[in-house]
Amino acid sequence: MNTILLQNLVNPNVNLPIVLPEMIVALTGVIVMLYDSFVPRQRSVTGAISLIGLAISAFFLVSMWNDAPQTGWNGMIASDGLRLSFTIVFLLVSAVTILISSVWADNEDVPIGEYHALLLFATFGMMFMASGNDLVIIFLGLETLSIATYVMAGLRRGDLKSNESAMKYFILGSFASAFLLYGMALIYGATGSTNITEIALKVANPNFPALLLVGGAMMIVGFGFKVATVPFHVWTPDVYEGAPTPVTAFMAVGSKSAAFASFLRVFVLGFPLIAGVQASEFLHESWVTALSVMAILTMTVGNIAAILQDNVKRMLAYSSIAHAGYAMVGFIGAGMAKNMQQRDAAIAAVAFYMLTYAVTNLGAFAIVTLLGQKNDRRTAFEDYNGIGFRAPALAFTLSLFMLSLLGLPLTAGFMGKVMVFRPALEANNLLLTVMVIAAAVNTAISAYYYLRLIVVMFFRERTTDWLAPRIPTALTAALLITVLGVLYFGIFSDGVIEKFSKSSVGTVFKAGTRP
Amino acid sequence: MEPSLASYLALSGILFTIGAVGVIFKRNAIGMFMCIELMLNAVNLTFVAFSRYYADVTGQLFVFMVMSVAAAEAAVGLGIIISFFRNRVSVDVDDASILKN
Repeated sequence: MNTILLQNLVNPNVNLPIVLPEMIVALTGVIVMLYDSFVPRQRSVTGAISLIGLAISAFFLVSMWNDAPQTGWNGMIASDGLRLSFTIVFLLVSAVTILISSVWADNEDVPIGEYHALLLFATFGMMFMASGNDLVIIFLGLETLSIATYVMAGLRRGDLKSNESAMKYFILGSFASAFLLYGMALIYGATGSTNITEIALKVANPNFPALLLVGGAMMIVGFGFKVATVPFHVWTPDVYEGAPTPVTAFMAVGSKSAAFASFLRVFVLGFPLIAGVQASEFLHESWVTALSVMAILTMTVGNIAAILQDNVKRMLAYSSIAHAGYAMVGFIGAGMAKNMQQRDAAIAAVAFYMLTYAVTNLGAFAIVTLLGQKNDRRTAFEDYNGIGFRAPALAFTLSLFMLSLLGLPLTAGFMGKVMVFRPALEANNLLLTVMVIAAAVNTAISAYYYLRLIVVMFFRERTTDWLAPRIPTALTAALLITVLGVLYFGIFSDGVIEKFSKSSVGTVFKAGTRP
Repeated sequence: MEPSLASYLALSGILFTIGAVGVIFKRNAIGMFMCIELMLNAVNLTFVAFSRYYADVTGQLFVFMVMSVAAAEAAVGLGIIISFFRNRVSVDVDDASILKN
């Protein structure tokens, strides 16, 4: 017994600084919380502290960019292409959310310091979801994110809609976490390990093959809830509509991409195809087929339901469901990749897709926040009637975001879609080709409701008085970042994609085509 | 005779199913929350059973994490339910019906 313990301790793979970006975000969260408890009446200091913390964290993250893929904390943390590219998206999302929410915090009496602290803790959880190479870390990251977002959804304590949103999110979210956790337990049972690299080695020869399949299915349920894929999407519209708009933006972009990061890590890197081994082939085929069907359903249901909405927030909620479907196309492309380069390129494509979706959707939600006024009263389509020429700056930027969500060439949304559809087409598989065709048809369907908002703004008459709101400085900054992002990623996307295409830690890969 | 691994797994499967069915059919938010806790404890049983089967400590370690997360979730969840109760004087989820198509 003693010798075993000693052997393990001789040369542990510690690599402490690997989690430095995460630690900085957590530390900033603690500082914000302390500052807020000693100086409770501040409105913007904690926001500034949070932004500085996020910037420092991003600096350390970027300085790690050129390191070779590595693991630390005894294999529990992985720093590879998937972690770096997703984490930079999370930091951006968090920073822009802080800028957007300053508007809302000024109009309403919300505990702003607590909100910033929660946002940072949620970001911390998201970062661990991307860097966790062990089911324990992924679970803890997911729960840190979820528990913080439950509170943020209910931050308007006196508002019935916000209460309801928080309660629905809490009950359905923890229900989904329980499924995810059961999946993790069964995977642990089937393989005897919670480390994803070890699981990948073990899928060729699991101790209990049936449990591996059931566990994988349970994890699809759990992650499916978090990324809001059909049929696990029912909570999304209600929760997104009821939550304060900046929080909705954060959930729609941040939580979704974080869930995608761990979803990718567990399925693409943890359950790879090992040619010639029946257990692994069967598992791989099962999850690819299940997710392909889910992706097609997600895109279709999301887009068709979005057409029927009268509320802009609900419309964007269904649109976010549809976008989860598009991102899954790239995800499945990564799962079907024939070699490591293709796989890493497909993972980078999903990360890039989430980046384009982040800048576009955050921008759209920034304008919805500003136009929604206090308590998000004005979020129906008719509230946007005829504002086009009275607030041209806002209306034209919102139109740009809608066109990018639609995927018009020269916008970020277009490049994102091209990037995620390509790996799926390259796989030369009937199901995947059908999926890409479904995605293209769905893009056409989505034109109806994205363009409808533009039509409403510019070509409808307004019956009531309406004054264009003054655009506050923080919101101007947020809009500037997002507009530049939409144009930059749409036109000069190559550099970013190249930066994202770094290899991942997963070593198990035996090239082979499916029979 | 010591119970086998299969009997522990069967028990945890049954407990998990009871919890899941309870969440779906119960209308009281507190009751639903208790069912979720039951599901988490069923998972803990699975972890401990496998931990013993493999003589590996990872499963037990995971259980500690699950317990602490469940405690944090309980604190936040009950807070959310209380704030709902203050505004609606009810913890029935059917009263949570403002946000609908």
